[in-house]
Amino acid sequence: MKNTVYALFLILFTTTVHAQTKVFKEVSEDISSSLEPIIQDGKLVGYLFFTTLEKSSADSFNYRLSIMDENLNDIGTVNFRQEHLDLKEVSFEQDVMCLAYIKSNFAGKEFKNGKEFKRETSKARTSLFAQFVDLNGKIVGTSTIPMDIKPESDYVYTSNYRTKLYGNGRLKHPLQLKNIPGKGFACFYGDDSKNNLLVYNTAGKMTWKNQVREDATDFAMLTSGTEIDLLVKRTDPMKEGGFEILGYNTKDSTTYPKFVLKDKKGNSLKVLAFENDPATGKPYVSGMIIDPRNGNRFVTGNNLRHGPYDGVFSINLNGHAKKDIQASFSYWSDGSQTFVDNHGFFQEPQLYANVERSFKDFSGNTWFAACGVKRRFRWGGLAWGTILSPLILPPFLYLGGGLHRYAFKDVLLIKQDGAGHMSLATTVPEGAGQYQFCAYPLYTVDPRSYYTVSNPDTRSDYLIINSEKNIEIYNVSQNKMARSVPRKDGNSVINVLPAKEGYVMVYEFNRKERTTRLSIEAL
Amino acid sequence: MSPAKILLFCILLSLLYTANAQDQNLYNYQDLSHVYYQKQKDSLKKAWVCPSAFSDRDGQHKYKEIYDSRTEFLLSAITHDDYVHDREVYPYIAGIVRQIANANRGLIPADPLLLLDRNPSVNAYALGDNVLAVNLGLVIFSGSREELALAIAHEMSHNILHHPENAMRERAAWLSSDEYKQSLNAVLSSRYDRLTRLQKILEGFTFSRSRHQRFHESEADSLAIILLKNCNITFNAKYFLHLDSADEEYHQHLHQPLRNYFTTYQLPFDDSWATRHSHGLSTRNYNFSDTTTLEDSLKTHPDCPERYARTKDRSAAHPQLTPIPQSVKDRTNKMLIWNLYTSGTLTPCLYRIFLEKDKGSKDPWYDFMISNIFYGLYYADRNLNRFNAIGIVQKEYISKDYYSLQTLFEQMPRESLRQYCEGFGAGAFWSSLPSPEHGLKSLLYTLALDPDDSERARSKAAHAFATDNAGSMYCEFSDNFEKK
Repeated sequence: MKNTVYALFLILFTTTVHAQTKVFKEVSEDISSSLEPIIQDGKLVGYLFFTTLEKSSADSFNYRLSIMDENLNDIGTVNFRQEHLDLKEVSFEQDVMCLAYIKSNFAGKEFKNGKEFKRETSKARTSLFAQFVDLNGKIVGTSTIPMDIKPESDYVYTSNYRTKLYGNGRLKHPLQLKNIPGKGFACFYGDDSKNNLLVYNTAGKMTWKNQVREDATDFAMLTSGTEIDLLVKRTDPMKEGGFEILGYNTKDSTTYPKFVLKDKKGNSLKVLAFENDPATGKPYVSGMIIDPRNGNRFVTGNNLRHGPYDGVFSINLNGHAKKDIQASFSYWSDGSQTFVDNHGFFQEPQLYANVERSFKDFSGNTWFAACGVKRRFRWGGLAWGTILSPLILPPFLYLGGGLHRYAFKDVLLIKQDGAGHMSLATTVPEGAGQYQFCAYPLYTVDPRSYYTVSNPDTRSDYLIINSEKNIEIYNVSQNKMARSVPRKDGNSVINVLPAKEGYVMVYEFNRKERTTRLSIEAL
Repeated sequence: MSPAKILLFCILLSLLYTANAQDQNLYNYQDLSHVYYQKQKDSLKKAWVCPSAFSDRDGQHKYKEIYDSRTEFLLSAITHDDYVHDREVYPYIAGIVRQIANANRGLIPADPLLLLDRNPSVNAYALGDNVLAVNLGLVIFSGSREELALAIAHEMSHNILHHPENAMRERAAWLSSDEYKQSLNAVLSSRYDRLTRLQKILEGFTFSRSRHQRFHESEADSLAIILLKNCNITFNAKYFLHLDSADEEYHQHLHQPLRNYFTTYQLPFDDSWATRHSHGLSTRNYNFSDTTTLEDSLKTHPDCPERYARTKDRSAAHPQLTPIPQSVKDRTNKMLIWNLYTSGTLTPCLYRIFLEKDKGSKDPWYDFMISNIFYGLYYADRNLNRFNAIGIVQKEYISKDYYSLQTLFEQMPRESLRQYCEGFGAGAFWSSLPSPEHGLKSLLYTLALDPDDSERARSKAAHAFATDNAGSMYCEFSDNFEKK
């Protein structure tokens, strides 16, 4: 990696020994960097190092963009001066990068005290700053749109045990940026007064704007062809439900009718995936069918026992007419499945499923990755509770935690084929974790996280299971374990992160030698 | 025949065999710098004591820091086997150095300490105090003995003119000067553009140094021509023009389509392996203003055409060129390839072998190295390190063929890679290779293909190799795996 930023640091630090350390220390303290992936059509095409080099006037800074290809090789740098910027997302279309920042004259600014901050709030300005950079390093366009964000302040502890007061502010709904193939970029954010959906062309000109008036707790944006879809999460009697999809066509500014996510029985749906189908390129949603009676009890291991979900679903949104929407609902609550009972207990592995990730493969199947939850009856607790029943407090201590304990075990992969048939495709063996009290929320004790990597050349899908001890790379298409990478190997700590299409980035830190190794490996 | 005669015959036979074995070896493990220069290393450590050059304490302190960093650089390079003292290439270069020194005793009273650096870049460097290093890359690149001699004489001139020592003193003087301190304080007191100001100070110094350096380079060129003349080595200014293409090694095209280099071993080849499938930025037509070339003012060496123009009048009318012996070239190339392999950069390693094949080489050692490369790649893949073993370079710095080769390394499926390892392992060329090569094959098998990929198994195999092939140059490789 011949990164110019590193070179800069190198100059600074190697010469430190020969010069007054204080100068280099202070100058380097002003430098801050962040690494952002450059995304096109949901795939990583490169990386961008955004560096704040120095303060150049009372309200502006000198910045450097270091652009790297998907192999982390430097391909160029761009220097510019602007007000305080916070880079949020980078997207790529037709050889132009769109960088979406939040520009503010108070966020990140240091104030002497609360009084000064209050005095300055009347002058506070925030805006969406979009910058368009071509592959010749030329800034081909910029756009600034005022935002309505209430100024806030944060105390930050510095290295010398002092606090500094910094300006801050939060968007109601975070900024999202996606490319629109052949057209430009779509950008969505929600500030204190409105939710804005904007479309830019690759020259940086805003070509379409729409105010989204839905009252929602969350939004997720997806672009597919010339369409923009917004997944809206509303407050709903079923806490995990209340999803709707809003559709817009940027070609002719059509707004499509709202699509409310419910099954045919009117049950709410919990969305786990809102993505483009790798086979068709059209959007789909998939997730869990919420049980109308037990659906709001989903937090703990004990809740799983009562069946908060009735099954799984996937809906292909091939268009906006009724015939274009293909929904598949697969239930276990009706007792129709042989491998799982009507409460969602999987017979063969003897596990409940805490489904956390869903995705589609190249063959039109929808997959649901779940952490298997094993239940154990507390015979000991019951015995001691009974023996000590004449006493008042001890039985409460023994039985207060409930009569069951739960532990995470194997990963379950549930498959729903194109026709809607559901099966337990496989269980990925994982050692059982520690048994926890039944009242503990699942998300606080679940040690795993999941993501998928696709290789369109081989039409293979891989599920990466980030466990406590190992990183398992599972080949979904071939139904076999491709690799198991130990998290700790001698003195090294290893992490596997998403990278370019079909690859993962292996990050290895050697604690003894204090060295870092990055490697982009094919799956 | 009497028993004494039989004994004598046997001794002669064994001596002959040893001589032959030594000839086949590029060098021995003991020729690597950490072993060969161990004594010199200790004496250098003692001898290189920073002289008193500044009256002020600060200046002397800085000077000592810089002086000691040079010692550390050399000692570290020796420890890390950056140098080798082989029995053919080194004596050949030492012969040139001696010829120049003998003819210029007034300027070079003692023979310099020559180091043969295993680096592939086309370069030689003077470290001062009569120490001189020549890279293997320069030997490969040089078209004739005379061209190589010019580069060596140039570096010897730097030593004669005390350029390295003066540069250290100048640097110390600058870093301890009031002007430098004041400019740093000005950075501290400024509120804005602190980095820009700091960079300007450093660039100002670099610019000033570069200007001096360029002047020094011209001085060294002039003296080198005199040194060469004194020892009857012809000078031709065109050598400077040739130097201009020094970084184009991997811009060379292969003579055949890539697939032919593999199908000759009866290995299956899929053209899609060598065709990039990625949609990443590396495949786009980017053209950022080139940040890799230095500003003219920051260059330490004058441009090659400038050097040519300045010295062309002093060229010999009818320069006689002495080709570098083929055996020296061959050995240098092999040493370079082996060094690239041990440092884990496999694409340039294989590309250089293919360039040798293009020249018609049938040496089985190259087949052996191709096999090693695939075993190495499979081993790297096994350890999730294929990316670093390939060392992906952007398309603008390499030829299309090199790009295809690195793409092949990147995209070749793991199963095919294994098939290649097994195919090379069964190659016919093994029959003409000596025992250390076979030993290395066995070690590589354990590393790459053995189902037991534990550290213990690797260490055991490395130990077995080192025991059976004590003194072999390949022990450098097994050292990496042997737990001592």
